[in-house]
Amino acid sequence: MGNLIKAEIRKTLTTKSWWGLLIPTVLFAFACALGWGAVTNDISDFLGSSDTRQITRVLGIQTGELPVGLLALGHGINIGTIFPMIFGVFALAGEYTKKTITTTFLTAPNRGAALTAKMITYIGWGAIYGVFIFAAASIGTLLTVDSARLPTGPQWFGMLGAGVLATILATLFGIGLGAVWRSVVGSVITLTIYMLVLENVLVFVAWGWGRIQWLGGVLPNGTLNGIVGAIGAEAFGAAGVTIPGLDKETKWFLQYTAGAPGAFSWWASALIFLAWTLLFFGLGWAANQKRDIT
Amino acid sequence: MHDGSGRIAVQNLSKQFGPVSAVQNLSFTVEPGSVTGFLGPNGAGKTTTLRMLLGLVTPTAGTATINGRPHDQLGNPATVVGAVLENEGFHPARTARNHLRVYAAAIGMPDQRADEVLGLVGLSTAADRKVGGFSLGMKQRLALATALLGNPQVLVLDEPANGLDPEGILWLRNFLRAYAREGRSVLVSSHLLNEVEQTIDQVVIISQGMTRYYGSLDQLRKSQQSRVLVQPADANALVTALSEGGFTQVSPTPDGRVAVVGATVQQIGDITAKAGLAVYGMQEEHADLERLFFQLTAGQFSAPGYQGPPPPQQYYQPGPPQQQYAPQQYPPPQQQYQAPPTPPPGQQLPPPPQQPGPNDTWGGQA
Repeated sequence: MGNLIKAEIRKTLTTKSWWGLLIPTVLFAFACALGWGAVTNDISDFLGSSDTRQITRVLGIQTGELPVGLLALGHGINIGTIFPMIFGVFALAGEYTKKTITTTFLTAPNRGAALTAKMITYIGWGAIYGVFIFAAASIGTLLTVDSARLPTGPQWFGMLGAGVLATILATLFGIGLGAVWRSVVGSVITLTIYMLVLENVLVFVAWGWGRIQWLGGVLPNGTLNGIVGAIGAEAFGAAGVTIPGLDKETKWFLQYTAGAPGAFSWWASALIFLAWTLLFFGLGWAANQKRDIT
Repeated sequence: MHDGSGRIAVQNLSKQFGPVSAVQNLSFTVEPGSVTGFLGPNGAGKTTTLRMLLGLVTPTAGTATINGRPHDQLGNPATVVGAVLENEGFHPARTARNHLRVYAAAIGMPDQRADEVLGLVGLSTAADRKVGGFSLGMKQRLALATALLGNPQVLVLDEPANGLDPEGILWLRNFLRAYAREGRSVLVSSHLLNEVEQTIDQVVIISQGMTRYYGSLDQLRKSQQSRVLVQPADANALVTALSEGGFTQVSPTPDGRVAVVGATVQQIGDITAKAGLAVYGMQEEHADLERLFFQLTAGQFSAPGYQGPPPPQQYYQPGPPQQQYAPQQYPPPQQQYQAPPTPPPGQQLPPPPQQPGPNDTWGGQA
């Protein structure tokens, strides 16, 4: 297995896609955190003063100390996760597109070993992407959010852990999708449109029209975003904890601002997205065990 | 674990792609120390068979083993079998050396093995060039280098001569012969017999997914009888005279001559002299493997309009005297013999060896 992992690492390092994709990743995470930080720095202005007082009273902090930095950080990380997901698509679908999969299978003891090596290697790549994304989003947040509203030390670490977990799962999700579909172009375009547009519209319409809150808490993009987003939402009392008297609209608005509309909690989001990842990875795995390489 | 014999064994192998039967009940073995040619026209099922052997395609029925094991049970398969396949992929942005280092790592070979195999295939000077800029011939050499990384006991090559220039083909021929001389097994597919004729010892000929011939090339050569092409003034009279002389295996050729099987030039000369027939030319034609190959594999993709050659009986049955032999009785050559690889009538499948050896078996149609 060590040999195959070494081969997988070399495959990535001998092409440019890993750092080529890392550039927009860092830029998007930074820009999004920067923009969202600038907007949410004054979030208490958007909330009614009674809502703000209620939240801060329950959370036991001053009105000016709401950790809005978490919102900026969460958004920066969330936009960044789309790139390791695309990177994951390249891992296997790229091999099918370039037909290098033949040699990969011919030089591995069996297909299961080849895929396992890929999975382990890309967990590492997902973590590396996660650290870069977290760093970029952190800088964007620090530049725009007042120091009193920045996350606490444990909250930073929590976001780092959750961010790395999210990017690892996103990468594996991408591998799974690529394994099922085998088309890089098709997978990447569909994934981007779905993750960035389609599901957001769906969640928004479901809320606006049918007052369905939970949809974002179960769909792939919502749960992936919820891993870090819900930490922000929880800090605002909009997820995981119940603040008596906080109305549904304000709660959903806060969750939306944190990037996790409908999220139940960060760990519930992680578990549900893990299920999505396992679903695609499992389907891709099964297809690859039997598929004829012609 | 595998038995280390270097033997390839294909047994009753079949593959169905939806309604298409790509390979049907194929059986053959490749012994170590020999180069076996795997021949058949395009679409005969060669590539599918090789890919089943390499574990890339799952057989519908039957088995294909190397060293007594299917590919996924070989342990570190690239050290047992190396493969050069058609349409093999290379990442265009990777250099030749980096490509080889990736797979050397996968096999567990040291990095210098990449440079060694580059030297073996004559690509050392192109080691740091990106594969995307390689010619077809260079890609074939790199594919062979990849196959050699694990120093395998068995080499499987699918149409390796494609894209190679004559010099490259000669080089490949010598390379494969030398490889087999070391006691290793080589299985090489081609749709052209003359391309591999000088390389191979054994031959498996398939068509329409079935074995047509399996045995040594010499045996195949011997099974083919030579024939004499006669250019007579009066073909009917010649045929009559020949049949009276006991030579009934005659047939027309596309260019209007008469092909006689089983007679020497001398015998035909004597008969025509005795009968007082004018003959403008005679030519002895020896066993031609290419022609034999066409006969064994013909018919896979015949044009619908093709009626097949006229039954020989019509031809050499001596008719009533008033029935004149007229050349126009023959279908016009351009219709009858559109495709060069059609077998001359009367020259049907050669008889199988009377006492087939352990490796001389006839599959498929038998």
